[in-house]
Amino acid sequence: MTFALDKFLRFLPSATFVMAAEYLIGLSHSVICGHLMGADALAAVNLMQPVLAAVAFCALLAGTGTSVLYSVEMGRFEQRRAREILTQGLWTACMLGAFAFAILALFRERAAESFGVSGAVLAGVKEYWLWFLPCAILAPVEFLLTSACYSDGDGRICTLAYLGRLAGNCAVSYVLALKYGIAGCASGAAAGHIIAAGVLCIHFRKKTNSLGFVRYFSLADSFRICKCSMGDSSDKLCQAALFLALNLFCVAQFGPDVLPVVSVVIVVLGLTEVFDGVAKAMQPLASVYIGEGSDRLVKRILRYAEAVSGIEGACLAALLCAFPSLVLRLVGLDEPGLVERAALAVRIVSLGLAGTAFVSLFNSYWTFKSHETLACALTLVSMFFAPLVLFVPLGCAFGEVGVWAALALAPYVSAGALAAFVAWKWGVRALPAFLDRAKMKATRVYDIVLGPDSICALSEKVGKFLAARRGIGERKASLTALLLEEALMVVMDRNAKRRIRAEVSLWFGGDSLQLTVRDDGAIFNLTDADTKISSLRSFMVSNLMLILPARRNMTTTGFNRNAFKI
Amino acid sequence: MQITKTITDGKMILALEGRVDTVTAPELERALQLDGVKELTLDFAKVPYMSSAGLRCLLAAHKTMLAQGGRMQLTSVSPTVREVLDMTGFSVFLDIA
Repeated sequence: MTFALDKFLRFLPSATFVMAAEYLIGLSHSVICGHLMGADALAAVNLMQPVLAAVAFCALLAGTGTSVLYSVEMGRFEQRRAREILTQGLWTACMLGAFAFAILALFRERAAESFGVSGAVLAGVKEYWLWFLPCAILAPVEFLLTSACYSDGDGRICTLAYLGRLAGNCAVSYVLALKYGIAGCASGAAAGHIIAAGVLCIHFRKKTNSLGFVRYFSLADSFRICKCSMGDSSDKLCQAALFLALNLFCVAQFGPDVLPVVSVVIVVLGLTEVFDGVAKAMQPLASVYIGEGSDRLVKRILRYAEAVSGIEGACLAALLCAFPSLVLRLVGLDEPGLVERAALAVRIVSLGLAGTAFVSLFNSYWTFKSHETLACALTLVSMFFAPLVLFVPLGCAFGEVGVWAALALAPYVSAGALAAFVAWKWGVRALPAFLDRAKMKATRVYDIVLGPDSICALSEKVGKFLAARRGIGERKASLTALLLEEALMVVMDRNAKRRIRAEVSLWFGGDSLQLTVRDDGAIFNLTDADTKISSLRSFMVSNLMLILPARRNMTTTGFNRNAFKI
Repeated sequence: MQITKTITDGKMILALEGRVDTVTAPELERALQLDGVKELTLDFAKVPYMSSAGLRCLLAAHKTMLAQGGRMQLTSVSPTVREVLDMTGFSVFLDIA
């Protein structure tokens, strides 16, 4: 178990829960309105899906890019710049929220009437829309806070916030829906955002908090944030457009009887949102490594994420292939003629889930690596163009089964097409992670569970390796070995009753050697030469700091990070 | 770490070989039984590396020798170990040949 894997696995449950909660929150109003108010209310809520997707798009547009850029700047040890990004992220969230609010408020009447419905359904749409309006402002701000806390390593508070949002949204929506109908249900969404934001504020009072705001405003940074978010955030819009196209095509080709089966397929495709949890779990560490330029570690964390994506995709596909009835029960489909058709659809569509998991991972990863346009192209191709281009001809040729097969094939075709494009534009060596081989060769990484024996063994190993390497010299080798032993022993002493993991990386650049030590112990700044001296060891570390002027410390994503230029 | 100990007429010579670090320093500590020793020589010719754990042993030995009115000397100290002694100020009060 490496330090990176340990951290990744700690983030993974909360990230997966957050994405699952997002999916459940999306479903909750349909379920509540459907059960309490019947078919008209359910139809009204479903018609609102493009509006909900637009608000989610605005929220992701501010939050995703801010968290990625924030982590990258922290990776570069640029805390002031990271805080500027965070501040601008908040401005961006407010501006996008205000813009979305204004647009949705101005065009509410006209847009609702363009849905082509009337009577109770139209009244329901208008009412839901009105009471959903506060979410246009609240959602971007709340999502920005969630992303920021997550980037700061507080997965627990994010899980709690989502739990609060899910529970608050469901409870308040249900209670208010009983009294005020669809308007009450819509108000519950705002309550969920307020509860989540309240929970997230707790993080700012924690000792481990490294988030902060500064006096800053830059429209150029807002543009960068939005550009960086585009790949991840546009998937909501692409998905909404795909579902609309799928509904229209299936109704035109096979008649309205197929709609319940399409609904089941949409539920399966919507489930893929959970796969975003893998990239979300990888993001805090990956962005820091990218900021540091530690491509060897980027490759390592990406391998873990690929393995988890593969396992998640394969397991979910196997589960749905074996038990398609799980999805049918969720949407309440039990008509004998439709059950077999829907079960077959679930089985076929689920074969594409492993591909979707990888597409989702690389969509986010390419964003972290500043290939936002490529990430955006992957979203557009995989979530809209490829399915559309495939299901129209296959549907015409093979009927319903052709459509489901097209949806299963789409992620693999998209991945292949984008991989071919990357190979053509940047060369085969760039595939799939855009890693710099020279940087990877210039980095060496060691993982360790702190203990006197392991620390001394590592110090000796590093010392011998450096002494044998051309251009380093015996003095630097010995100094590095000494610093490693003393620093790690100090960390161990400060966390006497805990099992501490550390990751040590050496980076060779020209004549210089950089040693970076990451540990998951209590927050402690090793690089502070004025720290209180309580032992001969801390005296030694303090003196070492005086002869190493180029040193930096930063607590990022819940771990200590100390870097020394030797 | 290997320690070769020679004692003759109140003179102790410890020839050290290998790293003096957190793990090996207790061996040095055990070897430094200084009862009745008037002159202590620590041969560092084959010591390429010493950490604060080694310094602690040297400090304890220095204090004992001072209390006994004896003398302690470090010989053949390598440049890397010398840098550690200089950095911590130990070279000011230790006798380094």
